[in-house]
Amino acid sequence: MASAEGFPDRLIRARGGEELLLGLRNLYILPTRFGWLWLLSCAVLYLLGINGGSNGPLLLGFLATGLFLICLHLTQFNLQGLRLRCGEPVGGFCGESLRYPLTLISSVNRFSVHLQVRGAPGSTVVSVRAGEQQASVSWTPTERGEGKPGRLRIWSTAPMGLFYCWSVWEPSVPQLVYPPRISGPVAVVGAGEKSLGPALGGERANGSEDWSELRPHRIEEGLARLAWKQLARSGGRYSKRFEDPQPRHGLLAPHPEVPWERALAHLSARIAQLGPGAESFGLCLPGESLPMGSGRAHRDRCLRALALARP
Amino acid sequence: MNTATLALSRRAIRLQQVVLASLVLQLAGSDLHHPLFWGVVVLVLLTALKLWEAKKPADLQRSALAELLCVGVLAVINPGLGPSLLQVCTALLAIAAIVAQELGDVPAGRRLLGQMGRLVGAAIPLMLVLFLLLPRLGPLWQLPLGHSGSTGLSADLDPGSLSSLVRDPSPALRISFGNRPPPPPAQRYWRVLVLERFDGRRWWASDPLGRRSAQTASGQPAQAPVSGPRGPEQLWLVEPSPLPQLPWSGQGRPEEAGLRIDPQGMLMGDRPPGERRIYTLVQTDQAPAWSLRLPSPQDLELPAGTNPRLEALGQSWTALGSPLQRVEAAQSWFQQRPFRYTLQPGVLPDVAPLDTFLFGTQAGFCEHFAASFTALMRAAGVPARVVVGYQGGDWTGNAVSVDGYLDVRQSDAHSWSEVWLGESGWGRVDPTAWVDPARIERGLADSLRNRPGERALLRLGPSWLRELDRRWGGLDLIWTRWMLGFDGPAQQAWLGQVLGPWQAWQGVVLLASLAMALVGGLGVLLLLERRRQRTTDRWRRRLDRHLQPLRQLGLEPAAGESLGAFCGRVALRHPELEPALVKLEQDYSRLRFAPAGVSGRGPRPWRSPGFALALLVRRLRLSWLTMHHWPHD
Repeated sequence: MASAEGFPDRLIRARGGEELLLGLRNLYILPTRFGWLWLLSCAVLYLLGINGGSNGPLLLGFLATGLFLICLHLTQFNLQGLRLRCGEPVGGFCGESLRYPLTLISSVNRFSVHLQVRGAPGSTVVSVRAGEQQASVSWTPTERGEGKPGRLRIWSTAPMGLFYCWSVWEPSVPQLVYPPRISGPVAVVGAGEKSLGPALGGERANGSEDWSELRPHRIEEGLARLAWKQLARSGGRYSKRFEDPQPRHGLLAPHPEVPWERALAHLSARIAQLGPGAESFGLCLPGESLPMGSGRAHRDRCLRALALARP
Repeated sequence: MNTATLALSRRAIRLQQVVLASLVLQLAGSDLHHPLFWGVVVLVLLTALKLWEAKKPADLQRSALAELLCVGVLAVINPGLGPSLLQVCTALLAIAAIVAQELGDVPAGRRLLGQMGRLVGAAIPLMLVLFLLLPRLGPLWQLPLGHSGSTGLSADLDPGSLSSLVRDPSPALRISFGNRPPPPPAQRYWRVLVLERFDGRRWWASDPLGRRSAQTASGQPAQAPVSGPRGPEQLWLVEPSPLPQLPWSGQGRPEEAGLRIDPQGMLMGDRPPGERRIYTLVQTDQAPAWSLRLPSPQDLELPAGTNPRLEALGQSWTALGSPLQRVEAAQSWFQQRPFRYTLQPGVLPDVAPLDTFLFGTQAGFCEHFAASFTALMRAAGVPARVVVGYQGGDWTGNAVSVDGYLDVRQSDAHSWSEVWLGESGWGRVDPTAWVDPARIERGLADSLRNRPGERALLRLGPSWLRELDRRWGGLDLIWTRWMLGFDGPAQQAWLGQVLGPWQAWQGVVLLASLAMALVGGLGVLLLLERRRQRTTDRWRRRLDRHLQPLRQLGLEPAAGESLGAFCGRVALRHPELEPALVKLEQDYSRLRFAPAGVSGRGPRPWRSPGFALALLVRRLRLSWLTMHHWPHD
């Protein structure tokens, strides 16, 4: 008793490309385990009918057989004619779950369409409305660079779970995969840095001339920190809280004493940590150097350079 | 969109709980002694456990499938109209539970109903095709139904056995006479058992299972259906009975090959007792063979000394010449004495019970009269035997069913005698009619009208309930006629009528009909789906139709793209289409936005911009084909 769910996809030549139109040539259909059981039950009902001399079980068995035959087609029709198109994937980090965007185009409503990348733990269920609809599948890349999710299985067992209809597709639009985020030492070269060598982000030091916020004044803090201006304006007693601004980072580079891929992973973690904030940093890689800058676009450029970096 | 989880649909679980409740209800009304009863009880229990411990959708699917199987088994046990209606509802709910689980994200009830309706509606034509055309195999094995707990006649006659049975008002059998009227009440004798063995108190049949007669008849199917002019038909529907003998009028021949008439005039079925039966008898004018069969020594068996006064009385009539004169002597003897017909005859002693009845109590039920008269005849040297069956029945007219039917209840159980009258063969004599003619003319309930105490024993219920019961019985007869009557031979006979010489091609007809039903069902589903999704905007529909040719070129409006933008995009790729597209856009804008009266009637089809566009697209495609298939050298 074959199980369609476990049908080896390697026996099927997957279609690639940016777009896939599901049709007779790329859809496969087999009964599910439940479908086989259903068929067996039809036979049992038939035997019950002819041996019991009663038409009730016969009619029930024939109705079940009719549903089986109808579902064979309806399950196929639930996928046939559905067009899948690759979206514009946003980069993500290696080893983490990424969302690969897809556009589903259909002229009719479809329900319980499952999308699953091979090896992914769960599938995405979509109820497709007539028109265009966005969906995404999750996958976990294991290599940095321009990755593809691999074989995507599109399947459905609707409307009764008797048949498993599926297709296999390899979306061709690559998704940028950054090196994995692993905290560790990075080299900081060039001007602008306050400290050379390994530096940990996220630290803020007290003792600066510039205060950053006000807090309710406590007597033991003394008058030196009292915010006089605010006292004069509102009558409230506040203390100034002083913090040093974030130290400026320089040009980040792979640490020379760390293996290449590991060093890239450290850089990836550092740049992701710096994030799209106001901190400015640059990136210095062999053969490529990105000047100091800040913001999301700069961060993405740096991560892209890391993803495509060659030693 | 959501990520698939192994969530169970609460609606599916609730539906299955209702299904289980319905199954339990049907089990409560089922025959405990049916061999399949305890099997289905175990199946229902296992299904309930499966539902209880269901953790993933597949568990729910399997429990629903097991429920469908339970419904199938219950359909064998309870094939009546009421149980069948309940079974249909139960099966639909079980299927709905499967669909509800498959639809996933808690679907709206209306959506579930719609989906169910479409699925079942498309499957019903296939079901009918299979039901009518798929050949039925014969039974592969027989269910051991012999020990049914169903009520009915017993295989022997002991004083008191029938008078307890007649207190049961449940249906025994129904007879439909087609479009002809039923026989008059005095002729409504439906024989079941012929008892010729007698031990002084109890009567029984020498061959209750008809084995001997089956052996003798195996080589010569004398009573098998014969060709010849067909007489009027009687349709018999018999409720489950513990006996293998089936009731019949004693006249005619069975239509089914599985039925046979034994030499004593008992109708023997081919299936074990304990299940509902429906069969057809064809009436004939000729005297039945069993009525002319010579009596055996057993028909004169009378243990000497068991009832000495009865024997002496019978022997006093031996001087009379013919058997008929002896019967008349007995009749006058009965009628000259104060015999009383009663449902409470009291208990007869073990010693000389018939003497006590004839010369002591003189109050009895039909069995007392039949037994004592038969014994008297044997003492007088006339071969005689006791026949047990039913007498009477309520005629339910044509108002309910097309043909009307005779409703015979267990309370119509009756016994009478058959005596050998010489050349005219076996003749029926009913001594009860001598004592209480009303019992035969008007039935048991009416004959007890002046005796409310005894009438109460019949548990007849209120008249409106009886009327309702009769009407329901009519519907049940129609249902059963089709449900039980359309068996393998009936199917072949029907196919012979419908297909005629094409019956040999039954397989091809079946496949072709299946394909047609499948295509038809799917086509209707497709149309319904399109109709559901079709926009109600008339002009938009027309525009979509006009833009249809462009789809052949792979050009479709993107989501949110205006008509103007789309036409511009198409014109960039195919400049030759531009005039038609401009015209199309202008016309659409005019029809869509111009006030009423300005737009006027739409252009004729052959002048419409959509038509022009279609023509241009066709030319474009032709040129494309030409270019690709016959490239320039």
